[in-house]
Amino acid sequence: MEIYLPIAEVSVNWPLLVLLGALVGFVSGLFGIGGGFLMAPVLVFLGIPPTVAVASQASHVVASSTSGVIRYTGQGAVDFRMGGIMAAGGAVGAIGGVELFRYLRLLGQADLVVALSYLIFLGAIGLLMLQESLTEILRRHRGEIAPHKERRRPLWLYGLPWKVRFPKSGLYISAIPPFGLGVFAGVLSAIMGVGGGFILVPAMLYALRMKAGVVVGTSLFQIIITTAITTILQAGRNQTVDIVLSSLLLVGGVVGAQLGARYAGRFRADVLRAALGLLILFVGIQMGLDLFVRPSDIFLLAPGVSDG
Amino acid sequence: MIQAPPPPPPAIAAPLLAESGPEMSVGTQGELRVAAALTDARVQVDSSFQGASIVLYGAVFNPTDDPTDVVVVVRGPDAPIRLVKKTRNLGVWLNSRPVLFEGAPGFYMTASTRPLPDIAGFGQLRRLGVGVDHLRIDAPEESRTVTRYGVRDVVISRLGEDYLDWRRAVIRLKEAAALYDTDPNGVRFVDRGLFRAQVELPATAPTGEYHAEVWLFRDGEPAGVSNLTLTVEKVGFERDIYELAHRRPWSYGVLCVLLAGGMGYLASRVFRRS
Repeated sequence: MEIYLPIAEVSVNWPLLVLLGALVGFVSGLFGIGGGFLMAPVLVFLGIPPTVAVASQASHVVASSTSGVIRYTGQGAVDFRMGGIMAAGGAVGAIGGVELFRYLRLLGQADLVVALSYLIFLGAIGLLMLQESLTEILRRHRGEIAPHKERRRPLWLYGLPWKVRFPKSGLYISAIPPFGLGVFAGVLSAIMGVGGGFILVPAMLYALRMKAGVVVGTSLFQIIITTAITTILQAGRNQTVDIVLSSLLLVGGVVGAQLGARYAGRFRADVLRAALGLLILFVGIQMGLDLFVRPSDIFLLAPGVSDG
Repeated sequence: MIQAPPPPPPAIAAPLLAESGPEMSVGTQGELRVAAALTDARVQVDSSFQGASIVLYGAVFNPTDDPTDVVVVVRGPDAPIRLVKKTRNLGVWLNSRPVLFEGAPGFYMTASTRPLPDIAGFGQLRRLGVGVDHLRIDAPEESRTVTRYGVRDVVISRLGEDYLDWRRAVIRLKEAAALYDTDPNGVRFVDRGLFRAQVELPATAPTGEYHAEVWLFRDGEPAGVSNLTLTVEKVGFERDIYELAHRRPWSYGVLCVLLAGGMGYLASRVFRRS
C-alpha cells in the first residue's frame, strides 16, 4: 500500500493520505474553512519535506474551496466584486510571499517563521474564537439575551479614497482595506500553505462589517484565486508541488468536505465555533512548542541551493 | 584529533589484473585478487519503490593460507550539503546561518568481514577513504562565504576548530536517515573464497550513479580492488512527472490547479445529485 511520491521523493502509505484528506476535508466542510492549517503539520509529521507539504496541499485547498464556492454561488452568497478585489490583493501577496519563503528557506529560517506564524496567528484567532463562543454558550445556558452588538463600522474605513459600491455586501467603502486583507492572506498562503479563511472571515465580519450571509462564500472565492496562484508559483519557482501527493489528498478531501457540510447543520453554531477555536489553538501551540523544546539534535539539514 | 581529510583514494589495482580476466581463475595461481558483481546494476524507482536491496557477491582468489579481509564501500552521487545549528536565545531555539559543505556522498555504506579498525590501520583507511570516519566531505582550507540569491552561506573550512562538530553532524543525520551505514559483519563468506554482501538502499536514496569498491586486505595492507557501478534512476510515470515538474514547471503548476478545480467541481456535481 506504499506509493513513492516523485517530487517529495519519499515513500508513503497511500490509503493513509486519502484518509487524512477525507478527515481534513470533513473538518473543513463542518466548519466552512479550508483546513490547510491542519493538513501541513500532519503531512510534515508523516515525513514529507515541509516545503513540499506546504506547496502541495495548497491545491487541496483549491479543490475544497471550489466545491464550496459552487454551493454558495447557487445560493447567491458570493460577492464577486469584493472577492475580486481581495483576490487581486491575494495575487500580489502570493507573489511576494513565495519569494519571501524562498529567501527564508535559503537563510535556513523558514521553519522558524512557519512555527512563529502558526503560534501567533492560530494562537490569537483560536483564543478569540474560544472566548467569544464560550461566553455565548454560557449566556444561552443562563437564559440571558445577547446584548445588542454595535453595528458602527470603524471610521477609518470611510476616510480612504477609491470608494467602491459592494451591493451584495451592503457596503460603500474604499477598495484599499479589502485589497490589503487580500495581500495579507496571500502572504500567509505562501508561507503557511493555508487559505487564510480563519483570518479573512473574522476580519470581513468584524472589521469590514460585511453582510454575514456572503462572508464565507466570498472568502472561499478569494481563497481559490490566491491558492491557485500560490500553487502555480510554488511549482514554477520552487518545483515543490507533488501532483501525486495532492491528488491523493484531493480524492479524500472532496468527499470529506461534502460529508462535513451535511453534518454541520446538526450542531449549534456557537458549539461548532468553540470546537474550531479549540482545534486552532491546539495546532498553534503544538507548532509553536518546537521553538521552546530542546531539539533532539541541534544540527539540522537545511534545504539545498540546488533544490531551491 | 586529525583534521585533515583523507586524500583521494590512490589508484590501486589488483596485481596482474590485466593479464587475467575473472573467467581465467585456473591460471591465477600465485596471485591474490578479488572479483565481484552486483545482482542488479540498475535500480528502477517507480511508484511502488520502497527502497531496494541489492546483493553484491564475489570471490577471493587466495593461493596462500594467509587470512584476508573484504571491505565493500558503496558511494552515492555527491551533492552539496547545507546545515544549520540550533542555538538557544532567550529561551527560544533559533537556527544559525547555514553552513555549506561543498560535496558529500548522498549515500555511503561500508560492509566488511570484521570491524574496520581490526582490518587496517587508521592511516591506511584514511588514505583510501574507507569508513564513515574517513569519508571525504569536501571543504576548502579557508572558510569563506558564498552568496547565492542574496543569501550568504558560510563554507566550512576543514582547518576550522568546529569542522569536526559539523562533520560529525552530517554523518549522524545521514545515518539517522539510513543513508550512511557501517556494517562490520556485512560481508559473509558463504564458501571458501566466495562472499556476499547486502546493499540496502532506503526509499530516500538519491538518484544517480553509485560506485562500489570491493577492497581485499591482507595483513592490514590493500591487496586488490574491484570497481563496480550501480545506477539508481526514476522510471515510467515517476520519471515523467519529475521531468515535467522540472522542465515545464509553469505548465505543471497550471495542470495541478486545473486538476484540483476540476475535482472540486466534479465533487459538488456528484453530491448535489445524490
